[in-house]
Amino acid sequence: MRRLLTILLLTVAATAFARGIAIEPLGPNDVAALLKPPVRGERIVMVWSLDCVYCEPNMRALAKLQRARPRHIQLVTVATDSIAQRARIAARLEAAGMQDFPARAYTEPSPARINFLIDPNWGGELPRTIVIRADGSRTAISGELTEKQLAQLAP
Amino acid sequence: MTYKPPMALRRLVPLLCLALLPLAAIAHGGQMDMVHEPALGAGAAFDAHGRLWLATVRDGHVVVQHSADLGKTFSEPVQVNPATETIYASGENRPKLATGPAGQIYVQWTEQPGPGWIGYIRFARSTDGGRHFSAPITVNHNPSKVTRGFDSLAIAGNGDIVVAWIDGRDAAQAKSAGKPYAGFAFYYTWSADGGKTFAPERKLMDHSCECCRTALARGPDGKVVAFFRGVYGDNIRDHAFAVLHTDGEANHPQRATFSGWRVAACPDQGPGLAIGADGVRHAVWYEASHGPAIWYGQLDPGHAPRHALKLGGPGASHADVAVRGKTVWVAWNQVNADGYALMLRSSRDGGAHFGAAREIASSNVAVGSPQFLTRAGAAYVAWNTADGFRLIPVETR
Repeated sequence: MRRLLTILLLTVAATAFARGIAIEPLGPNDVAALLKPPVRGERIVMVWSLDCVYCEPNMRALAKLQRARPRHIQLVTVATDSIAQRARIAARLEAAGMQDFPARAYTEPSPARINFLIDPNWGGELPRTIVIRADGSRTAISGELTEKQLAQLAP
Repeated sequence: MTYKPPMALRRLVPLLCLALLPLAAIAHGGQMDMVHEPALGAGAAFDAHGRLWLATVRDGHVVVQHSADLGKTFSEPVQVNPATETIYASGENRPKLATGPAGQIYVQWTEQPGPGWIGYIRFARSTDGGRHFSAPITVNHNPSKVTRGFDSLAIAGNGDIVVAWIDGRDAAQAKSAGKPYAGFAFYYTWSADGGKTFAPERKLMDHSCECCRTALARGPDGKVVAFFRGVYGDNIRDHAFAVLHTDGEANHPQRATFSGWRVAACPDQGPGLAIGADGVRHAVWYEASHGPAIWYGQLDPGHAPRHALKLGGPGASHADVAVRGKTVWVAWNQVNADGYALMLRSSRDGGAHFGAAREIASSNVAVGSPQFLTRAGAAYVAWNTADGFRLIPVETR
């Protein structure tokens, strides 16, 4: 019984201090702020979805890039799945080791409108990596990034 | 000697455990929260009497309703799967519904039986006019927990029920053997006993796209044919066409679009197909080799499609196609900053020429992909929106 109580108390402590990934909503009115140039360096927005098999390796590669240049790069992930699926989204991000990065999810059950607001010349294929630089320039690439593309993202 | 805690503590422990459960769930990403939002994936079909049938997903159940007044009012929903399942019902994954010649209602969906990218293709039927459904069966004989989905359903001329899907088993095997494997694979099966049992699945083609819906259609010879996105060479996302033989004859999938669009991504935009009584294969598809574009064309497997016509560019997506005699209709979603328009173009000369695009419906809330239905020579578009299901009649101009 003492053992049970110890386990219970440890569970209480672990649970109280464990940090889940907070997923913030991204609605049509939030897109402009997301795409606003950062004060310095660059913001990389990685758009992904639960069904996308190419997204997780892309996510991990961008996380590695950010960790190598933390003062230069902000990394934000955006799931095109509705935020109603926040539990699945958080679980997937956690499995990919993305706890340290701000995470957003679309507020709508169909992604097309917010996709269009982010970039009208994008058909929704995922992953989509958008680099927004302090000077206002922007680069967007569909698909899993190659080593060469990754190297060019943060010169 | 055994320690016996006081009665008060013994009572407290289970209460404390119960109290902690929600906290533990929140700490692990809020996994106790449920998806209450209605999914937009829906499947619709007319039966031989002109009644409209609709399959949608609610709280872990596929539910079926019918309408005798073209979608103005619907019957009470009937649950298809008695036990709740996690059902794919968003994006290009949606439940499918087809009607049989004797009034059978066939329903198919993809279940996610556990966490991760795994799926089982599920099927049930009603032989009493939609009042009751048979116990759901898993169509795929292979039980491995791999990705399956983007299923499609069609009824052959002889009444066989043909089911196709994208399957990740070959990719998983290659990965575990340390070998490269592009995309997934296209599998199909059929039932010759009205949906009681399905034959062991056959692989049609290695290297399908992983995340685009598949299209099936019935040709004038009664055979079911497939049109779906493949992965050719170094991630080129063009489409394949094949007759799905159910008599043991060898299959011959052939490349049928040649855009050369290369991308290591999930397009989430599968094609549409309708076969005319003259055998002409009317198709619609998406590619982004020179920016996003949806196309119409008449498939000539092994060669570029005939009468290729770009239907839309940025913001145009998820097209469908229907044919009746010499009339061909194409419809798609056109999004802009304010919402969605359902666009239509029609041809009266078998797809050689099309009239101008026009908006036939609009929505300022999210919409699913349009699905054509035909009844007595007239065409309708089934359009599920976050505000409810709509059946939109199509007039030819």
